[in-house]
Amino acid sequence: MILLPASDFTIEELTQAYNQTRTDYLIPMPMNPARLQEYMLLYDVELNKSRVARDGDNIVGLGMLGKRKSTGWITRLGVLPNGRRKGVGGAILDALLAEAQRCNLPDVWLEVIHGNQPAHELFQKYQFRQTRELIVARRPPRTARNMSIIKDVRKIQYLQHDEMLELHCRRRERTNWLNGIETMRNVRRLTNVLLDDGDDYSRHELTHLSGIVVEFSDGAQGWVSYQATTLQLKRICVEVLCGDPARTTAGLLELLHRLHSSQDAAVENIPDDEAWLGFKQAGYFEVFRRIEMVRESVVE
Amino acid sequence: MKTILQIEDNFANRRLVERVLEPFSYRLLNACDGQSGIDTALQETPDLILLDMGLPDMDGQTLVSMLREMPALANIPIIALTAWPESIAGEMAIRYGCDGCITKPINVAEFGKQIAVYLNH
Repeated sequence: MILLPASDFTIEELTQAYNQTRTDYLIPMPMNPARLQEYMLLYDVELNKSRVARDGDNIVGLGMLGKRKSTGWITRLGVLPNGRRKGVGGAILDALLAEAQRCNLPDVWLEVIHGNQPAHELFQKYQFRQTRELIVARRPPRTARNMSIIKDVRKIQYLQHDEMLELHCRRRERTNWLNGIETMRNVRRLTNVLLDDGDDYSRHELTHLSGIVVEFSDGAQGWVSYQATTLQLKRICVEVLCGDPARTTAGLLELLHRLHSSQDAAVENIPDDEAWLGFKQAGYFEVFRRIEMVRESVVE
Repeated sequence: MKTILQIEDNFANRRLVERVLEPFSYRLLNACDGQSGIDTALQETPDLILLDMGLPDMDGQTLVSMLREMPALANIPIIALTAWPESIAGEMAIRYGCDGCITKPINVAEFGKQIAVYLNH
């Protein structure tokens, strides 16, 4: 088996290999080349620092490395069913950690799906420690909720991309890789790149961030940021500045869904805390959980 | 003859459903992603849609929302086929407007009867 930079392969080859690593997963989450390309752009995945394991002519596994300032992120790590139990996952992980060290990335983060015990054990063996559980949740369109919270609004302001980025920069909560400020900045970068690329991408998917900043009559304050496409609200982030976290979160989300009642809503990697209760009050339901893990001080 | 549209990206899963449903003399159509699933559904107006909830171009929830928005397809029964745990899959399927949910791996002895129930409902 040899390990090669993922940049030696086409996006189609990587997509096919990635999908094959997930065919028997609890939550396979298959991608097409456009979605994988979007994923790499949004989350700063660098293909020359990512690795593909090949045995003869066959790809047997792959793993990707994202890089932001002094932090690394391992993602899409998987081994094809016929390559398992041969040390392929460990070899890819070794190579990605070595690459992180070469890039002076002292902290490397990753997430593993709750219930994927073999992967969780592999990461623990490599000194990754669990930091928190994160929830992936959805809210179907036209979910009927009690909108009484609307009456309690004292002041409401609608903001656009750059103003929302400023608010993201001041977030108090420790963000996950998927919801970090870099991801939000990349939303516009993605739009520009895909528009330049042209044809095989749905134009309705290409939008910027929007947001609502609200002050409630009881003094609670907060904002919700999101990316609205024709069918779906994505990259939803809530920040409660003042007030009860659950009630304020629920109020912000109710306002959001009154504005966009016909769209499906998807949120990724929300911490399992009081704010999550607000999501549930607003009609969201948990789809699955991820375990966030970190390996610190790779650089010696 | 009743027409069933199967929207499923995994070849082995598609083939298994084809083989299990063979004795029932349904007309079985296949689509391997969300977009071709919509195109086929619009062209053929099937009697039932079997939908894998994890597709490469869009997730199943989004596809259900889209199908329910289209007047010609809004009333076609949609059955979610998913490997997700039954509690999550069942709730998700119903809340997104599916008419039922069958978890994978399918029970080959029961699958035909399950489909017949949905078709005759």
